[in-house]
Amino acid sequence: METPLAMLPQGSSVKVVRIVGGKGITRRLVEMGFIPGEKVKILHSDFSGPILVSVKDSKVALGRGIAMKIVVDGLSE
Amino acid sequence: MITVALIGNPNVGKTALFNRLTGSRQHVANWPGVTVMKKTGRCKHKGEEMEVVDLPGVYSLTAASVDQLIARNFIVEEKPDVVVHIVDSTNLERNLYLTLLLLELEANVVLALNMWDLVKARGDQIDVDKLSKLLGIPVVPTVATTGEGVEKLKDEILRVSKEKPKRRLVVGYGEEFEKLIRKLEDVLRKDEKLAGRYPLRWLAIRILERDEDVLKRVGESPIKDEVSKVVKVFG
Amino acid sequence: MGEELLEDLDVVFAEKRYEVIKSILSQVWRKREVKWTFTDLLDHAFLHRGLGIPIFLSLLWAVFLFTFNFSEPFMVMIEMFFSWVGGFASGLENEVFASFIADGVCGGLGSVFVFVPPIFFLFLALAFLEDSGYLARAAFVMDRVMYRLGLHGRSFVPMIMGFGCNIPGIMAARTIENENDRLITILVNPLMSCSARLPVYVLISSVIFGAGYLAAASIYVMYILGIALAITMALTFRKTIFKGKPSPFILEFPAYKLPITRNVLTLTWERAKWFLIRAGTIIFSVMIIVWFLSSFPWEATGGGANIEASYIATFGHLIEPIVKPFGWNWMAAVALFFGFLAKEIVVGTFGALLGSGEEVELVRDSLVEAGIFTPLTGFAFMVFTLIYVPCVATIGIIARETNSAKWTIFSIVYLVALAFIVAGITIGIGRLLGIP
Repeated sequence: METPLAMLPQGSSVKVVRIVGGKGITRRLVEMGFIPGEKVKILHSDFSGPILVSVKDSKVALGRGIAMKIVVDGLSE
Repeated sequence: MITVALIGNPNVGKTALFNRLTGSRQHVANWPGVTVMKKTGRCKHKGEEMEVVDLPGVYSLTAASVDQLIARNFIVEEKPDVVVHIVDSTNLERNLYLTLLLLELEANVVLALNMWDLVKARGDQIDVDKLSKLLGIPVVPTVATTGEGVEKLKDEILRVSKEKPKRRLVVGYGEEFEKLIRKLEDVLRKDEKLAGRYPLRWLAIRILERDEDVLKRVGESPIKDEVSKVVKVFG
Repeated sequence: MGEELLEDLDVVFAEKRYEVIKSILSQVWRKREVKWTFTDLLDHAFLHRGLGIPIFLSLLWAVFLFTFNFSEPFMVMIEMFFSWVGGFASGLENEVFASFIADGVCGGLGSVFVFVPPIFFLFLALAFLEDSGYLARAAFVMDRVMYRLGLHGRSFVPMIMGFGCNIPGIMAARTIENENDRLITILVNPLMSCSARLPVYVLISSVIFGAGYLAAASIYVMYILGIALAITMALTFRKTIFKGKPSPFILEFPAYKLPITRNVLTLTWERAKWFLIRAGTIIFSVMIIVWFLSSFPWEATGGGANIEASYIATFGHLIEPIVKPFGWNWMAAVALFFGFLAKEIVVGTFGALLGSGEEVELVRDSLVEAGIFTPLTGFAFMVFTLIYVPCVATIGIIARETNSAKWTIFSIVYLVALAFIVAGITIGIGRLLGIP
């Protein structure tokens, strides 16, 4: 099921489907490693405020707004 | 004198390496026209003087941010003899992205696998020779904070500055896109100014990516309309 | 070639590059899976929903404690040194020269050098936190709060540094990519009470409240007021001039590491250097000018003893009408005027005008004697000092960092206006409540 990254709870392991945003945001996210098919794990999220995820072996903090633009597919681990 | 540019993601230890190389022979100024700090320094190794330029920490080389444009323009326009790409070896997957972009820019890259001590501590294994072969560039493990590997790095810098680069890795984008790239290259070749300044393949790929800076320069070129016939990127 | 296909080519190409990287790494890299790393453990604590902010506030408190405690002995040594030199100089033959050395040079240099220890230690502590990787976590924890305030998570570090000195604080705003966010952070930074204003607070509060908890409380109020104003102005700017939401917050967390002495020291030096060079030359030159204007005409003032006969008094009386409504006299006006050049000079100027040298205790006694401030007018004076115009060195940095005359002038104008308004409101409320 496709959902924005921002709406998933801490501990979720997901896969990036696509990014819905302008060129600027898309580029920045892609540079950071958020490409379709990439596995992402939500390390810290409490439903208000920024989210910490693990992507491509590094930890990246995302503002809520940006996290809403990353559409992911929930996996179960 | 050889010019050496240092480039890498933020937080990879680039500053530490810069300090290792240049010691106290540093000079801080601003990149012209912007408020981004430019650090340059000198380094002497085996009788050769090197001027080391610290480029801003960047994740990529698109026209999206001032830092990236500065780094990119420096490499393209100043054409440093060597570009040392410093990576966080515990995080190769994302760090190598920039390496591929540098190779596309046809820079003479030497890869410094920094934070090598952390790799060992974690128990990870990296086949340095194989990596070097696959990328087509010298690869040197370093620990900038202790200085480990820095002498060897300096050796490789000198070596690369003299020898012609061998086979660099080239990323292929699939048959359809490669056809487009070749078509664009043929058109771009006709503008001597552009062709003399930038690698054609790099230009073609940037046009397809709709890079703002490249589109601006091509837009000012006489071959602009021909480019439009191949891909509609203007207007 | 279809238009739609062209739209996403940078993503398509990026994917291809990562494919190549994956294939390379599969041949070259073997990773050992680790469940929990030290970094994860620390993050669990630092980013904890309930504990995150308290931990951050405690660390911040620790930073201030460290700064003030470690720098105090050095500050005392420096003061003693300049007192000694000043005392030695007053015994010199030529009266004018003696005064120049004792009051002008020692007073001037003294008031600059005495601030080097706290500035140095503050920057040292902050550089340590930054290099260790903690500050990224702090920005994360604070971002939730800052987002609602119309600020960017990355505005956080510049604001904190502003408590030490607005100059590196404003320079630190470079890490903010979005122009609007950056501008707001820069414009609002001077409201973070920099360490140069502290001497003014200490002086005035001890004059009007004596030594005691009321004085300390009033200083604390200044800092809080500064933060409150910074937040208010940020929100205001966000709603009016810089419409729109703060730009996206993406921040990579570096792994924690024990900071390397060398890097930390280099970072500290780069920032402290600005203060020393800019502030140093300016403060010193201005103190010489103040000394000159308050000591001359030499005969009339009796070597600086009779201040009312000096050039500076003439000037002061000229500008006095501006501050009369606040209940301040011409000396306060002059002190504020020179304070524009560097906040520490406010104390020094009072010292020069009252003929009591640089020592805060002595100036305080003279001020009390001269009866220039009442509790209300003194408090309003502190408020005014908090807000009005940052020192000229900071303005120089604002000009450099914004690259725009328009925004530099705007920052000066809005801060002066805000200072008059808020100080005016303070006096107004105070009078209504019947406070003396």
